[in-house]
Amino acid sequence: MKKICMALFMISLVAVYAEEAEVTAPDFTLADIDGNTVCLDSLLADGPVFMSFWALWCKMCIKELDALKPYYDEFDSLGVHMLAISVDRARSVPKVKPFALSHKWKYVVVLDPDDVLRDLYHVQAMPSSFIINQNKEIVFTHMGYKPGDEEIIIETIRDMFSEEEDEGE
Amino acid sequence: MRVSKLSILLVLVIGAVYAADNIRISGANQAEYWLFVDDRLDTLNYKEHFTEKLKLSAQYNDIILRGVFFSWDPSLFTFFGNLHYIDYSVQYAKKPVEILYGRYYATFGRGLVLNQFQDEDFRIDKSLFGFKADISFMKSTLTLLTGKPRNIFFEEQQYIVKNEEDTSAQIRGANFETHYSPRILGEVNVVTSLGARYVRINRDSDLAGNAFTELYGGNIGIIIGPWETYMEYARQWGTRPVVGGRLDGSGIIASTGLAIPGLGISFQFVEYDTIGFPFHNANFRYNEPLTPIKSGIAVNRGIDEIGYGASIIASPFDFMSIEIDYNKISTHDSSLSKFEEILMLDEDMAGGVLEQTVKIITHPKLELEISAGVDRYVKRNIEIPITEKIETKPYVDMTYDFGTFYMEAGYEHTFISAELPGTVEEYYDHAASIAIGKPELFVLSLRYERRNQVPEELIEKLGEETSWPLAELSLDITRKHNLRVRVGGEKGGLVCMGGVCREEEPFRGVKVVLTSIF
Repeated sequence: MKKICMALFMISLVAVYAEEAEVTAPDFTLADIDGNTVCLDSLLADGPVFMSFWALWCKMCIKELDALKPYYDEFDSLGVHMLAISVDRARSVPKVKPFALSHKWKYVVVLDPDDVLRDLYHVQAMPSSFIINQNKEIVFTHMGYKPGDEEIIIETIRDMFSEEEDEGE
Repeated sequence: MRVSKLSILLVLVIGAVYAADNIRISGANQAEYWLFVDDRLDTLNYKEHFTEKLKLSAQYNDIILRGVFFSWDPSLFTFFGNLHYIDYSVQYAKKPVEILYGRYYATFGRGLVLNQFQDEDFRIDKSLFGFKADISFMKSTLTLLTGKPRNIFFEEQQYIVKNEEDTSAQIRGANFETHYSPRILGEVNVVTSLGARYVRINRDSDLAGNAFTELYGGNIGIIIGPWETYMEYARQWGTRPVVGGRLDGSGIIASTGLAIPGLGISFQFVEYDTIGFPFHNANFRYNEPLTPIKSGIAVNRGIDEIGYGASIIASPFDFMSIEIDYNKISTHDSSLSKFEEILMLDEDMAGGVLEQTVKIITHPKLELEISAGVDRYVKRNIEIPITEKIETKPYVDMTYDFGTFYMEAGYEHTFISAELPGTVEEYYDHAASIAIGKPELFVLSLRYERRNQVPEELIEKLGEETSWPLAELSLDITRKHNLRVRVGGEKGGLVCMGGVCREEEPFRGVKVVLTSIF
């Protein structure tokens, strides 16, 4: 019972902190499916970054990335980098690139077979997605995917740019 | 008591850093409460689990402090006892050097030599405790490590330290990987990669004094535009546990693939002969030779295996994609030619798995997705006492997005033929599911699975249950907090419900899971 109470206390602490905190995005440098090095700092120099953690076995993850596919060109023209972070283990790595291209994804598909990035961003549920602004703050976090959730992501990205325009005026 | 003190300390640390402006804190928390039926208990049939996993990291300039508080507290007796631990690591990370002390994970290449990883979706935690250093220079990385292994698995509703006798074993290793991108073909992307690695393992529990095992190997890979190929080779040299004598093994994995928009083809080949380590214990490996089987099934994890995997995914139209997989792994059979040995699943083989899947996904309308397919598995001597099990599962799923809410419905039917000594038993499982959800708010899922009968010879293995009704509510409290309440029974396996996918053990009862990220 004592342990349960202690755990509940920790959960409540986390719950309060989660809502209050302004989290800075951790840096990372990983390889993409074409063997290129992907570094968060370099990407943020051009624009905000959207990241979605996915795996070949996770059909909800694939649905999310398929649902966002039609918006890629619009966000790309705004300078938004869209990353699909594959957490597939070493045994599935050879299938990641053929899968991504067969689905006509234009995202930068990053390989994270050792969960380096997943651990850095404390991903607990698959899929999970994040939006990082150019100040390196995580401005959007979302766990899981339900059809329609993509609208929130699209809205958040568009809002980032409309806010910038307002500030400019 | 020790854990309680450490926990208080952890809370104090959280509090202290909470107020600090120049320290970046992030983490995640998962708390689970289970109330479930456990057939292994003779008297009171209900059992409780409480699992709490809090992960925290604090970064101050180039120093990162990580902590994991884990407590698994079942209400009643378990054979392996409770599991409480606090893991930590301190890392200095400033390119080109990263130095870490504490708990960490490491995979060299594709895992033939060392593969200590964490997989939270499948509740596998294979870690090392000690020092690790990564040095990056000129598109190359050198990793040096030393550590003691701890492999935790979740099986039969309990967390088990699988290598309990070997947690004092010492693993030392070095891994070198380099990339080179010559500009020889104009606009075509060309990347070559080379790797070399060495691992030495000393086991305290080995009766043969001073016995140690060495694993070493290398890899070569090349990407030329849409075409990619990779090969990894490793050898094992060591002393046979207990009995002594030379232990000599090798393993090879090779893959090639072609990827162009709308079409992806990949092919993998694996062959292992005594490369899995530790050799004496089939329950865990510090390296984990990969299996080409999508669902992760292997025969004996790198001791005596040969197989391949072929996959074609095509999207000939924007509204349709097709996925075909044909994978096989088995033990060697010296009576066959090499070609036959790779391709065939022969009756004389000590064990093997053949996996054939085909899936079509269509979007007749923007709001509608229909997927249908057939999965077929042939498992030879994998599920003892069944000598050959053939499962054929046709299925169909439909999702309709109404805008403000969506609906999902699915049906699957698994025909099973199980060959036992002297008899063949046939039965089937079928399941129907329906879900309704609102974006950013909730998903309510209902699933009913039924088995038409349990053959008498398989009651001991499968149990007597023939129906698994299940209801789940997944509630997004905020974008950073999700609450999942599940009531009913499930057969176990990969479950995608409530917007997330994860591996579940067979279960009957109530589960409440609160997940937070911050």
